[in-house]
Amino acid sequence: MNLAKIWFAQKGWKPHRFQKESWAAIHDGKSGLLNAPTGFGKTFAVWFGIIQDFYDRPKPKNNKLHCLYISPLRALSKEIYLATNRVSNDLNLAYSVELRTGDSSAKDRTRQKKDKHQALITTPESLHLMLATKGYREQFANLEFVIVDEWHELLGSKRGVQIELALAHLKALRPELKVWGISATIGNMDQAKDILLGPVSENTTIVRANLEKKIAIHTVLPDEIEKFPWGGHLGLKLLPKLVPIIEQSKSTLLFTNMRSQAETWYQQLLERVPDLAGQIALHHSSIDFQTRKWVEEHLHSGDLKIVVCTSSLDLGVDFRPVDTIIQVGSAKGVARFIQRAGRSGHSPGEKSNIYFVPTNSLEIIEGSALKDAVAHQLIESRIPFVRSFDVLIQFMVTLGVSEGFSADSLYREIKTTHAFQSVTPEEWRWCLDFITRGGQSLKAYDEFHKVILEDGIYKVTSKGIAARHRMNIGTIVGNSMMNVKVLGGKNLGTIEEAFISKLKPGDVFWFAGRNLALHSVKDMTAIVRASKEKNGIIPSWLGGKMPLSSQLSSSIRKALTHYKEGGKLDEELKKLKPLFALQHEVSHLPGNDELLIEKIKTREGYHLFVYPFDGRLVHEGMATILSYRIGLLTPVTFSISMNDYGFELLSDQDIDVESLIDNNLFSHEFVYEDAIRSINSSQMAQRRFRDIASIAGLVFTGYPGKEKKTRHLQANSQLFFKVFEDNEDNNLLLLQAYDEVINFELEVSRQQAAFRRIGQQKIVVTYPTKPTPFCFAIMVARFREVYSNEPIEARVEKLLKQIEKK
Amino acid sequence: MQIRIRETDFTLLADKALWRHDTRQLIIADIHLGKASHFRKAGISIPADSVLEDMRRLDRLMKQVQPREVILLGDLFHSSYNREWHLFEAFLESFPSVAFVLVKGNHDILKQHRYELPNFLVVDAWEDDHFLYTHEPTEHAQKFVLSGHIHPGILLSGKGKQRLSLPCFHVSDTQGVLPAFGKLTGLYMLERNAKDRYYLVYNGIIREMK
Repeated sequence: MNLAKIWFAQKGWKPHRFQKESWAAIHDGKSGLLNAPTGFGKTFAVWFGIIQDFYDRPKPKNNKLHCLYISPLRALSKEIYLATNRVSNDLNLAYSVELRTGDSSAKDRTRQKKDKHQALITTPESLHLMLATKGYREQFANLEFVIVDEWHELLGSKRGVQIELALAHLKALRPELKVWGISATIGNMDQAKDILLGPVSENTTIVRANLEKKIAIHTVLPDEIEKFPWGGHLGLKLLPKLVPIIEQSKSTLLFTNMRSQAETWYQQLLERVPDLAGQIALHHSSIDFQTRKWVEEHLHSGDLKIVVCTSSLDLGVDFRPVDTIIQVGSAKGVARFIQRAGRSGHSPGEKSNIYFVPTNSLEIIEGSALKDAVAHQLIESRIPFVRSFDVLIQFMVTLGVSEGFSADSLYREIKTTHAFQSVTPEEWRWCLDFITRGGQSLKAYDEFHKVILEDGIYKVTSKGIAARHRMNIGTIVGNSMMNVKVLGGKNLGTIEEAFISKLKPGDVFWFAGRNLALHSVKDMTAIVRASKEKNGIIPSWLGGKMPLSSQLSSSIRKALTHYKEGGKLDEELKKLKPLFALQHEVSHLPGNDELLIEKIKTREGYHLFVYPFDGRLVHEGMATILSYRIGLLTPVTFSISMNDYGFELLSDQDIDVESLIDNNLFSHEFVYEDAIRSINSSQMAQRRFRDIASIAGLVFTGYPGKEKKTRHLQANSQLFFKVFEDNEDNNLLLLQAYDEVINFELEVSRQQAAFRRIGQQKIVVTYPTKPTPFCFAIMVARFREVYSNEPIEARVEKLLKQIEKK
Repeated sequence: MQIRIRETDFTLLADKALWRHDTRQLIIADIHLGKASHFRKAGISIPADSVLEDMRRLDRLMKQVQPREVILLGDLFHSSYNREWHLFEAFLESFPSVAFVLVKGNHDILKQHRYELPNFLVVDAWEDDHFLYTHEPTEHAQKFVLSGHIHPGILLSGKGKQRLSLPCFHVSDTQGVLPAFGKLTGLYMLERNAKDRYYLVYNGIIREMK
């Protein structure tokens, strides 16, 4: 019996070619990667292969798990759970599907262990939690399939490493296990397949759907560019222009890049169009899960005219009523822009509609660059994490908590993963030492206690350590968060503790789309009540700043050159004409064959602005390398600021950049070496270490409301960083922090390419007397890096001289 | 650096301790011994060697200034008992003629019997004619108060958006607050006022801020 045939006939649908291809591949016992966009039945493309396999098999005596479905998102899991159960019901199939995420209650989880079901839908974190529970070997004893949804999203994160480790372990349990990934299009499709399926699997394939939706891109332009701000990232100036767009659309998703920005937009939209009340909602990751679920449900039913959101709605199920997307500020990458655009226009034959809203004048150029990049399908690659010892150590303790592991067999398993294939026996020994003896030989007074070795099996025996570890499983590191709860009412969500701690009772702030006054703080909960007072402060959440991808960067350079060479101008470049003319007048407008440097002196000190147009990460790295090179000649302290177009080195002393340029300041030689040497004088490694320390279980953040038990165990990662540097400089977690800086922050390979390109360019130095259109946004940026190779005594004396003069 | 408080000479030591001349007292706040071991006992691998650093520094300081009495202004031990306490016991034994007084801090939660050592006295506060020693800063009508607890620090900022935060001694007309002695401790940034004096401690240097 062909289940797919029957079901599709029942529904009166015709399967896509890629669905048939996947079914055939699964039937042939292959593992593979399915490359398909959302909204075309990608789940079914895999699912019918799996239930057919189950149906064709002799019925097993014991009903154990047949398939594990891993999805990165809880909302998505729920949808898949409903869809797959519907299939079982429609076909009257004895194939029951269960859902297990962070929201499942303890009762549900116990029941799931006992009950007989054939498939389980879960998240990477919940899967690791299962591996931290006794009896998992039994539970997975008949496992045939693992499906990993949205693999492109997981791949470039440490959650991807979590998947690699779990899969290697499951394959050791079940050598005949088949693995299927589902991924949107990315630049490194083949590598994505190899990493998921592991280097040893041979019987594998990639099935491509080749169904790309049409996208209409519109840039929302200011009427007068002269009145449009040079800096800033909120973009509220163009809000009035969006009102008719929202009104004419059935349903709109408005994406911002930051949570605080989403809060502001929600507030301002309501103020501008009071009629939206009841039809507008807010959705970001700090808002309470129940509220978010409510928003998603009402997006489905078409009751909401507009939802202001962040990346929290990047992924997930399609909302059929949504026909318009608004992107406020840079989307940072082509893939991300296409992904967001694709959240609209789901009916067959419809196209996606996306409006790009620049937040400052120079950003208008991105509209032009995006159109070009989308037209040429310049999709970014996802760079996988390797050698993430923090995740490995967490995983080792995870297995220790449940059934224990033997060192040799686990080492063999991890060596099959892409992330850990290069781990040497010495490094493995270090990891074992780290979890059993805290990395050092035990001394008489020492009572280090985590994992113990008993009869060749490494395991955790302390209940307290096991409980703390379970709470800490995962690789998404947040700051210490506080629950926000209405007095005698419901939870609103979470805000960083650092923000709440600055408020006094009675202070008004704006959160979850409401004006709130702080009532009191109890444990890790901020109790609030509604406030009528306007103008509450908006909390800021520390979030990662996405860098501009190299694809989008090069499209921007292309647009700039196109303008300079007098090519035919699109509407964005036409609009930018007065701005470019001004830049040319007060400084210089660089073409592709030029690198612009601006030297400006202000009351704050001596500013050097450099514009490679390479994205903020490359700029950060380049700024650090240049600081290092300048510092070789004279002790110096720089405050570094950057955006996606350029960077600033701010110092209290005049830098003779002209003679430095003549002395190979921008040489493409020794970029790697200089990058490594420069890290020590910057804080990048220390910042990276924050997440590493938390994932490896050094810093225990706990959960809101539960932190009490960890009294006296609070320490910040900076302390660990310093102590490791002073006492244990071969610590692999410390080295990992440096590696991550080299690979992900300094992106040395992109760095070398950038320096090589600059080598071909003519360097133009200008001396503007006031801030230019190019430098303004960088100059006012609040987030700054520090580079210093001056001795601390000298820095203190210089600072005191300024302070004591007053 | 020598300073004079209520007709009494003190030396601020770059080891983040205070030396009182007339009584030959060494005054130290917030060592937080046992912190590393407390973490390690809970399976958090702070390197074990870092445990010894504060003890070594303390030992060196004792031999250098040769005090008659040591006043510990609270938070001597970070948390509940762990074996690191024995290192402290051995340390006490090596200075049998020195009297140690612990003014109890909020972290000092060891069981009473642990404190029962020959040359060791535990009190809630300690005083003489002119000075009151407490853990937390407080005001007293007549006496000058010496305390710790807050781990005082100063944030320096200047041209080129430069910023540095350093531990400090904070001395007012009525009080003196010591920086935390222990290495595994953080800093609390003070807002400066014009009346008080602030002494920065860094790299073995004491420097008054004018």
